[in-house]
Amino acid sequence: MNRREALFSLGAAAASTGLAATGRAAEIKGMPEATQMSADHLPVPARQGGAFRVLTDETDQKTLAAVFDRLIPADGNGPSATEAGCLDFVDDQLSRDYGAGKALYLEGPLNRENEEAIMGSPQFLATPRERYAAGLKALDAYAQKTDGAAFHALSPGRIDEILTGLEAGEIDLGADVNGQAFFELMLQNVREGYLADPLYGGNRDMAGWKMIGFPGARYDYRPYIDRRGEDLALAPVSLIPQD
Amino acid sequence: MANWKKIGTGVAVLAVIAAAGAGGWAWTKLNTSRSSVADDSVALADFKADPEAAARGEYVMRLGDCAACHTKGQGDFAGGYEIHTPFGMLVSSNITPDRETGIGAMTERDFFDAMRHGRGSEGMLYPAMPYTDYAKLSDADMHDLWAYMSTVVPVSNEIDENGGMAFPYNIRLAMAGWNMLFFDNSGFSPDASQSAEWNRGAYIVEGPGHCSACHTPRNALGAEIGAAHMQGAEVDGWHAPEITSNPHVGLGGSSLEDVARYLQTGSDGVAFAAGPMAEAVEDSTQYLSDEDAMAVATYLMSLPGSEARASAPMALNASAALAYEVNCSACHGLEGEGIDGLAPGFAGNGALLSDSTTNPVRALLTGARAAHTGVLPTGAGMPSFAWKMNDAQIAEVLDFIRNSWGNSAAPVKVEDVASLREALGAREKIAAPE
Repeated sequence: MNRREALFSLGAAAASTGLAATGRAAEIKGMPEATQMSADHLPVPARQGGAFRVLTDETDQKTLAAVFDRLIPADGNGPSATEAGCLDFVDDQLSRDYGAGKALYLEGPLNRENEEAIMGSPQFLATPRERYAAGLKALDAYAQKTDGAAFHALSPGRIDEILTGLEAGEIDLGADVNGQAFFELMLQNVREGYLADPLYGGNRDMAGWKMIGFPGARYDYRPYIDRRGEDLALAPVSLIPQD
Repeated sequence: MANWKKIGTGVAVLAVIAAAGAGGWAWTKLNTSRSSVADDSVALADFKADPEAAARGEYVMRLGDCAACHTKGQGDFAGGYEIHTPFGMLVSSNITPDRETGIGAMTERDFFDAMRHGRGSEGMLYPAMPYTDYAKLSDADMHDLWAYMSTVVPVSNEIDENGGMAFPYNIRLAMAGWNMLFFDNSGFSPDASQSAEWNRGAYIVEGPGHCSACHTPRNALGAEIGAAHMQGAEVDGWHAPEITSNPHVGLGGSSLEDVARYLQTGSDGVAFAAGPMAEAVEDSTQYLSDEDAMAVATYLMSLPGSEARASAPMALNASAALAYEVNCSACHGLEGEGIDGLAPGFAGNGALLSDSTTNPVRALLTGARAAHTGVLPTGAGMPSFAWKMNDAQIAEVLDFIRNSWGNSAAPVKVEDVASLREALGAREKIAAPE
């Protein structure tokens, strides 16, 4: 397809889209009475009932828990990542659209040459669910190979070494896994689990919000806007308050 | 929408009473002779109206809010509004001048008989049609309304008004019995001891405005309870609040100007019309002239109120204050002051303090839409909180609203929230992880 044909087909596509949209449009008269939120617009809480849906392999669970609890360990500032429910959060997200990569373009480029340079970061055709499955297996295999033990059985110091090496891109987890990118994926997800609203399964008891002093899902801060430099001691509020 | 639309009630019993009803008493109730002032020769479809009379008649139509029931997506005044009663379904009639399916074949006398005496072309009307109030309409207003109706575009729309009523409630003659018991067939008689303004207000309120149809509670047979006139009633899942001089839950704490402003715009700056009253404001009261709005206010604020009085405010939990601040204060204000023209204030909002908690509970469960009028066109929406608050949480935040900033009211019953949630089909609170 040359440039002229490409432009022509784009124009035709735009025209047909326009027509189709016109045909579907519904005319709204008067004032819409409904003030209930459509089900599509409501938050979807984490499933409850304990059992893991994606991280069903016990070794995978332990490997990820070991990573998470070194990234956010329990200390005087708050509970560890797994104590705050981050494993449940990630498992729930991986079981949904996020895990299936619904928001990602997964058809692949026509030409892989220079892809990373153009996009500015590594690109994957695998879904997050597939990347966790491959990454956790590769991480445990790496520990077995280098230390002769399961990853989760390693000392905190050794785990930190491996994580530091992954982050720096110095540890090779094999041809199928980009170790540096997998580290970043886990770091991103553990932060999300620790700081997202508790309704999504993590941030249990709003521990993450209490740690950083975030007041949560409040609608309006006008009463406080003039109180600069003061500890407002605002209690955090979940979008779906428990009490 | 309104409870008088549901009143097809208790009529079978009354068929028997109708048969037993006797003599001069029945004659008084069913006598239509005062409507003999109307012409009985020219049909509506053939009537040529004087434009000035028709223009005055349009105002009478607004006062009577005919469109509320007779316009429902099938053409202006073409009927089709379904009214669900415990005895079956009534459908509002086609009142366009169409000769076959509307009222085009009626004479002015037939029109007077239907409007003021409940005598339709097909037999007795059901009191879902407020002829019980329209009986007070003056001859002059009736002539003008007739002139206006002749200018309405005829729409062919066949309506089977009582085909959905089960036997024996589909027998229109039963209404004769109801009328004998409950229908005051007399016209409006001014009270000489009151001002002209008061009398004008009384005429509008008790006649065309048919306010008491919603705001007065009814007995088991669907007739208004005179001793509780305008003292508030449950209407189709809403509470029509008390609109008397009562200073706690009625209009006693408002000024005449506030009440007039509410009628003409949908809000007095604190309370907003929503639900069925929003429809009444949009279709009817926003068209009131300044003089008539003040007259209506004058009359309503002279009415004797119920016994409801302020009590000591209940004790409140800190969690209730937090729930109010987090969920409500952005629009309704930290001091319950609301936003003028946009969101209701709660401080001193008597309609909120009634023992009936239907309206505020309903607003939280399903949300609500303010009336949109010429002056206040926004029609701001209150969103539903059913998805994020359970029954106890709704009761708690309402207790806070009803007992802060000088307000006082009885505790909201959690079981009332639960039953309304079920009745309205509002969703349950989202089940978040513990």
